[in-house]
Amino acid sequence: MQLFSGPSISTMVHGVVLGGGALMALFAALFSLYAMRPAQASAVPPAAPSRAVALLLVAAAAALWLTVLGGTYVVFPPYRVTPPEGVTALAAYPRAFVLADPSTAWLHSFGMEIKEHVPWIAAMITTGVAFVATRARERLWEDEEVHTTAMVLIGLCVALVACVSLLGVFVNKVAPVQ
Amino acid sequence: MSTVTGANGSVWAAILASGIGAFAMGLVVILNEAGVFAAPSLYGPSGGVSGRTTIAVVVWLVAWVVLHSRWKDRPVDARRVRAVTLLLIGLGLVATFPPVWAVF
Repeated sequence: MQLFSGPSISTMVHGVVLGGGALMALFAALFSLYAMRPAQASAVPPAAPSRAVALLLVAAAAALWLTVLGGTYVVFPPYRVTPPEGVTALAAYPRAFVLADPSTAWLHSFGMEIKEHVPWIAAMITTGVAFVATRARERLWEDEEVHTTAMVLIGLCVALVACVSLLGVFVNKVAPVQ
Repeated sequence: MSTVTGANGSVWAAILASGIGAFAMGLVVILNEAGVFAAPSLYGPSGGVSGRTTIAVVVWLVAWVVLHSRWKDRPVDARRVRAVTLLLIGLGLVATFPPVWAVF
């Protein structure tokens, strides 16, 4: 018996390695932005720590892009395969399987529909903030407007990615890609 | 910490572009759900999501390039840009929220 199939490994890489990695990097960046927040312009953190935060944000953006691209073009296709006419055993067809039962239909009509689009928004936002943190590092730490905005946007991305990850866990629990 | 003056355009171009990208995503999704515009499927096995997300990413990148080239050497009103960015992101997220589609 095969323990993991190719598609199930792809799903784990997508959700645990890349999505989980992105969430950890985003949270670490958010915490660093808060903890290293200078009380005044003269107390701007030294170059090395602020460069580390920039690297965290670049890593988060890279992981998010790999997550959404892998999710859309590798993991999603086997999820949405239409079962052949007359097939009643739907376990191998996750979308059809969850839609067949009214108590689990929301996993597709709500959960997967959100998962299809919202992570892309988080990837675009994180990339924008990562650009600021790498190309305008001094301004990120010296300018209160920029710093506050970066914290708000990364905090939003943490919430979005966490919610989407949870929905992914629910879908994969009920109808795993096999 | 304080508000720093000077050319801050490239910073806010990157931030506003992300708001425009988020709004574009929401707009494409809501138009699709309303039956007004169906994005072409660029990769058959993934279906329409491949077209919808590609359109939003292209809009985001074009907006970023245009804003960056126009703003990079000049100061912009940070508060106004931040407010517009957050509004666009909020609208984009609302439009991608499935219960909202029932309105259309």
